[in-house]
Amino acid sequence: MTDCLQYGPTAGYPPLVKKLKSLTERLHAPPRWADTDLIVTAGSQDGLCKALEMMIEPGDFVVTQEPCYTGTLSILNPFEPRYVAVKCDHEGMNPKALKEALSQWKPEEIRDVKTGVPKVLYINPNACNPTGVSVGEKRRREIYDIASEYNLIILEDDPYYFVQFGNLKDFPPSFLSMDTEGRVLRFDSFSKVLSSGLRLGYVTGPKPLVERIVLHKQVSILHASSMSQVLISELFEMWGEDGFLKHTEAVQEFYLKQREAMLEAAEKHLTGLCEWAVPTGGMFLWLKVPGVSETWEMILNRALKKDVILVPGRAFMCDPTTPCSYMRAAFSIVTPEKMEKGLKNLSDLIREELELQKA
Amino acid sequence: MVLGVENKIKLDVNDTALSLPRIRLVSAPLLRGRMDYSRFLSTNAKTRKPSWITQLRSYLANPSSDILWLAGGHPDASLFPFKETTITLKNGQEIHLNQDLMATSLQYGPIEGHTPLLKYLADLTQKLHSPPRWSETRQLVTVGGQDGMAKAFVMLTDPGDYVVVPEPCYAGIFSELTSLNPHYLPVEEDEEGMRSDLLRSALARWKSEIGETHSEKRLKFMYTNPSGSNPSGTNMSEKRRREIYALACEYDFLILEDDAYYFLQFQDDFPPSFLSLDTEGRVLRFDSFSKTVSAGLRVGYVTGPEFLVEKISQHIMATVMGGSSLSQVLVTELFHMWGLEGFLRHVKEVRDMYRRRRDAALSAAEKHLTGLCEWRKPGGGMFLWLKVPKVKDTQAMLLERGTKKSILLVPGNGFTTRPELPCQYMRASYSTVLPEEMDKAFQILAEVIRDEIQLNNEVK
Repeated sequence: MTDCLQYGPTAGYPPLVKKLKSLTERLHAPPRWADTDLIVTAGSQDGLCKALEMMIEPGDFVVTQEPCYTGTLSILNPFEPRYVAVKCDHEGMNPKALKEALSQWKPEEIRDVKTGVPKVLYINPNACNPTGVSVGEKRRREIYDIASEYNLIILEDDPYYFVQFGNLKDFPPSFLSMDTEGRVLRFDSFSKVLSSGLRLGYVTGPKPLVERIVLHKQVSILHASSMSQVLISELFEMWGEDGFLKHTEAVQEFYLKQREAMLEAAEKHLTGLCEWAVPTGGMFLWLKVPGVSETWEMILNRALKKDVILVPGRAFMCDPTTPCSYMRAAFSIVTPEKMEKGLKNLSDLIREELELQKA
Repeated sequence: MVLGVENKIKLDVNDTALSLPRIRLVSAPLLRGRMDYSRFLSTNAKTRKPSWITQLRSYLANPSSDILWLAGGHPDASLFPFKETTITLKNGQEIHLNQDLMATSLQYGPIEGHTPLLKYLADLTQKLHSPPRWSETRQLVTVGGQDGMAKAFVMLTDPGDYVVVPEPCYAGIFSELTSLNPHYLPVEEDEEGMRSDLLRSALARWKSEIGETHSEKRLKFMYTNPSGSNPSGTNMSEKRRREIYALACEYDFLILEDDAYYFLQFQDDFPPSFLSLDTEGRVLRFDSFSKTVSAGLRVGYVTGPEFLVEKISQHIMATVMGGSSLSQVLVTELFHMWGLEGFLRHVKEVRDMYRRRRDAALSAAEKHLTGLCEWRKPGGGMFLWLKVPKVKDTQAMLLERGTKKSILLVPGNGFTTRPELPCQYMRASYSTVLPEEMDKAFQILAEVIRDEIQLNNEVK
């Protein structure tokens, strides 16, 4: 209890850091493990924020997937970055699209340049928020090679790693696990599997970069809540790594059931109105409404009357003025009955919208 | 502005009184008009926008109970493995987190903080400070007081901006603030705290040299740690606080009041906080539970003008997304159990303990360091700020030679705006050291200092 209540090391409660290092080695076998460090953060988003603040100057280029998690955009927007947005499809970030987005630069010309060129690539490779899809192994290797060519740091934001559907051994390899050059900063989170409120995540990456993040933590939050860290550490102590992984399987099962119910409701009510890819993990369904060029108005002004709320796709665009036909529905905490009702209302909303457009 | 401090309220608690000044507001019309806060914002803050979910929420002013919320990305809490817990307090009482409370503790909470906790903080703040502009004041829970300050620094500071800091100053703020590239205006203090005459002349000089001609180089804020300050242990007198507040109004800058040691002031009559004097809405106040309840739980709070606190909240949304819910629930349950009165009783005990430790440190200093060091009696906090007149720079003495004798104090140069310059000061902490250990420590310190003087003489 004393450990819970007292100041602790900035990098994290040592017994927890030890356990997380062991887990990371087991799951990812990072090729440069000896030059890699791991620290605990107050949620993975804080780690991501500190990493971006460490590397971005106002007006810098940032390579990111599009659609992109709104939290990341919130972190970046105050820097007024120039987004190099890479379109994603039903298999996530497309390496061809990445190469094309970077084509305005010749790799050999920018590799060693310090400013005014892209240096960072942000990617949310598993059960991406908001698209719900994952990037396959082949694409990952291609993306890593392109990052290597252009000398980019890859920010691997992976909060849904443990809620991918399927067997752990079939998960595509993480960017960390293929990082032979020391260019990957990986962000893990316990928010989806153990607790979101405890505010606990961790960053793994090259020592010089992780060290900078530690310095920033020292002058801001100091460290993640000691009590939160002790609790998770004790849980690992009790369950062991195998017990923890077994627990994550139970979590996956739950979200899988929710996904099935959601897809059922979608097929019943939204066929012909929407298109979607099957989520490979996580908690989001990314719906396209081909007949509606911009879902923002429809949702913010008219959805309320139909008692349903989703997130309009424009919120996930790097350029907030870009019209977007998509919307994001979450299936994490809604019961199957509510999903059924919600999507029925949504189908009414869309039909009315299409009518409205004709008028 | 006319504020009368009269009829101090005595809170009789266990025979010894904790006095709180009652601020009498003369009349509302004397409060000045609205501040233009946008002038103080950094480019970073100006470009920061509220998140989409805030916009979404604004459309839901009156949601029907039937609304089907498919928007939020909250994970399902039924899968979180922790069920319930009972925490035993040192006085034997028990706090029980049942399943509902535990579920709340494990889930994302409101960005601004756990609602019941904010209510207690509002009551406590009103009781202790009666902020003059309370209806335009807002509070947020932060991950420790320091994260609130870090966010305020980013919100307010553009490269080249001018910032007033005390000399010496808490080293922790330099680490964040210096990376934002401000110009520092350090102002020395005496036993009453920051010298208002020196502050006035520094401001006048700034104005004539910079302010008049370079309007883009803004004088943004003053950082102050007015109670039991780190490192000097000084309590700023009421007189100085009023003089300094008046200067803030005259020269139009904000005041960042870092009051982590507020409850550790050793006198019974607390001077009014800057927040309690804030008729114009210039004060951002940072409170902390780290010294009184727990440092590790990381719970602090910021109080200030709605406009500025909202900006900080936007930054929090993009970063830590709120403090640990469990930590906040624990502190709330403590307030439930103890009430504000019980909490104030507890902090009194904490204060008394630190005062005893201070007294032991002073005894040991008088015994061993007389003739070698100079110091002022700390009015609060946990530090003794020692000057070594016969030693030019304490760094090497402490870090190389002191450590060999198993003693470590903090060299003073880290507490100045020019850490590269030699510094004759050092900071001793008496927070965790027992009286016997303090005695031994200063005995060894005296040896280290004598050796150092000897060494300097030999080199000459």
